[in-house]
Amino acid sequence: MMKKNHVVESITKERMVQLLASGKRLDGRALDQPRNLNIETGVIPKANGSARVTLGNTLVLAGVKIATGIPFPDTPDKGILMVNAEILPMSSPYAEAGPPSEDAIELARVTDRGIRESEMVDMTKLGLIPGKSVIAVFVDCNIMNVDGNLFDATSYAVVSALRTAKMNRYVVKDDKAVATDELIPVPVERTPVSVTIARIGDKLVVDPNSEEEASMDMRITITTDDDGNICASQKGEASTISAEQVLQAADTSISVGKAIRAKILEATS
Amino acid sequence: MPMIQRKQVIPGDVVAKGNYRYGSYIEKRGEEYVALRVGLAEVGRDGIKLNPFTGPYLPRTDDEVIGKVVDINGFGWVIDINSCFDGFLPASFVFGRDFSPATHDLSSKFRVGDILGARIESYERSRDPQLSIRGEGYGKISSGEIVKISPTKVPRVIGRRGTMINLISEKTGCDIRVGQNGVIVVDGSPDGIVEAIKAIRLVEAETHAPDLMSKVEAALGGGVVGGN
Repeated sequence: MMKKNHVVESITKERMVQLLASGKRLDGRALDQPRNLNIETGVIPKANGSARVTLGNTLVLAGVKIATGIPFPDTPDKGILMVNAEILPMSSPYAEAGPPSEDAIELARVTDRGIRESEMVDMTKLGLIPGKSVIAVFVDCNIMNVDGNLFDATSYAVVSALRTAKMNRYVVKDDKAVATDELIPVPVERTPVSVTIARIGDKLVVDPNSEEEASMDMRITITTDDDGNICASQKGEASTISAEQVLQAADTSISVGKAIRAKILEATS
Repeated sequence: MPMIQRKQVIPGDVVAKGNYRYGSYIEKRGEEYVALRVGLAEVGRDGIKLNPFTGPYLPRTDDEVIGKVVDINGFGWVIDINSCFDGFLPASFVFGRDFSPATHDLSSKFRVGDILGARIESYERSRDPQLSIRGEGYGKISSGEIVKISPTKVPRVIGRRGTMINLISEKTGCDIRVGQNGVIVVDGSPDGIVEAIKAIRLVEAETHAPDLMSKVEAALGGGVVGGN
């Protein structure tokens, strides 16, 4: 029989709510404490850039492929950036093979939006021949183990892979883009960090694991850049959030994001 | 006393040659008995046994299991019993023979997320296992913390005639209930629960270590209260 959703045991949820009231969590973390983050880069030799990120038990692999492509008609002189994510069937008992689920599509879009709207990659430096040829950056993510908060783990993997990616320098010869042997880094300008916050009862918790995700009322993912500017956000699940809590979540995402950014910079420099 | 030989095997290993009675996960090929799983093989006078290191829970009639209600349909509850099969608890087993979907409200008894102690009433390969909560001690479990271990390690957690589980229970003052499916509910004082879970995790990690009892005893500290 198919298992559709992660059902949290009612006695576990009861304890979770009890502990949250006293500012603790089931796994012993503080409310604003993310899980252990581990970043490895350059794990796929044939990709332009790659990263394997573990956030607690969540495991994400991201790979960057860079090629030339035809620009979109509305941005003839800018490069192309595409972030895609796939949840592998082996990653969780609830993931199924086949066309991507709603969750997988949302995951890819939220990750893409964080990278795009923070202007992490300077797209104007990826233009080659206006209207004809530009550099296209594809980032593909594979979720290999699911234990909650795929948004952040995937985002960190993409950012780390892009920061360490190397591409051929292209030159324009006779109205054609030609790759040279020289390897240069991707023009990365900023380091966006996404922080997902879940509301369980009236408490906000950072980096929910799968048990917390299965018991949460709503979640909000906020991406901030190096200067503490909010560049993207996404709210999920049916329930609402008060205005004060949005502000509280924004502050938390900036402060938590700062610590995580330092880790990403350390792992990718 | 008969000599029991134990050895670690991988699929394809010849466990023994000759004429033996043999259990699951072993195949007879001519004279040879071949292992089908990674595990610990025991060759004794009364036959060959293979205890796999990992594996799913395979239901057996009359097993006591601990399950989680994951769905309710018109005729009963679908129970996650930590297996590749979902258990089914028919409503007529709970409401009696005059059960009718029109008059009885199933969610008034058990809701999605509730934990149940149950017994495998019947199981055959062509159908999902059927559960029953008839009998003392079965039914909803309303407090405690849940620990999941590999179902293949349940016998070690219980110990010979329950010695291991009694030891942990007495040392920590916790009520520990072990389902054959690898789900354990630990109930007691908050500190006791933490200690008990640590001990269970130790048994799980060092399943095949010799003299596991005294290791667990040392980890729990203090003098022997009950034990053997």
